[in-house]
Amino acid sequence: MASSVIKPGILVSLQELDSSSPLFKEGQSVRATGKLESYSVESGMAVIIDGGATLLIDTQHLRDISFRPGSIYQFIGELHISQDSQAVLEARIGRNVDGIDLNLYHQTIQLRRKFEADLAKTKAA
Amino acid sequence: MPPMDPMRSAHAKLLAGDFLSLAASPSAAPSFSRRGRPVSRAEAAGIVVSYDRRPKLLRFLLDDGSGCIPCVLWLNHHFLPQSPAFSSRENIAAAASAADVHAGKVRLGELVRVRGRVTGFRGVLQITVKDVLVERDPNAETLHWLQCLKLARDCYDLPPPPAPARRA
Repeated sequence: MASSVIKPGILVSLQELDSSSPLFKEGQSVRATGKLESYSVESGMAVIIDGGATLLIDTQHLRDISFRPGSIYQFIGELHISQDSQAVLEARIGRNVDGIDLNLYHQTIQLRRKFEADLAKTKAA
Repeated sequence: MPPMDPMRSAHAKLLAGDFLSLAASPSAAPSFSRRGRPVSRAEAAGIVVSYDRRPKLLRFLLDDGSGCIPCVLWLNHHFLPQSPAFSSRENIAAAASAADVHAGKVRLGELVRVRGRVTGFRGVLQITVKDVLVERDPNAETLHWLQCLKLARDCYDLPPPPAPARRA
């Protein structure tokens, strides 16, 4: 059967979003999670950090969300890559996920990838 | 007659990518299957990434990172002719009220768990939602994913259990 128009936000860790990653491309939909390092009310730009890697988030399309540095947030949106290979996630969804077990979350993402790869193999067979 | 597969009546916990890969049988009363086993009801969890509320229905999309599951919650109980499922006007009012409460929980960016029937609309698989639960604990989603993986491995991927032997 056909699929919906909105693309799912692929689950990624911030460390994976470097220029060598296949997900590091213009318009790629991702779901990124990290601790809010900074937020500018004027520009609507936020920076999240996880595992030593950071990601710039454009929050101008988000409503009904308050930002507290030190809290953990999750964003779904599309990546935009500048000419100097700087990625900005233009968020269409944002939510506070304080209390999330990030170690378990990242381990589960790895298990899911293996499961989804097996599922794709089964479908292709 | 083949034995009844217990999967037919259970709410199968499926990741979106798995749900959207269900096979649909091309018949007047469509049925759906996963690796040859019937799936008529499903449970999914994800973030609401779009919704469209109309007088008779609420449509929304649940994104769990592997796909976006289209969901529909009907709000048309008062518009329907009296159905055998509702024995009285009070039952219709109660069902309409419950649907309205569930619809009110669906908001953009909310992590929700839904259960309902697997249906198809214009060639797209969807869940016709019976109930909606808002998950306040962000770890509930991770737990749901792990349950989906475990159930697939230990149950859904296996052949159906044999029918119990009949006594002579």
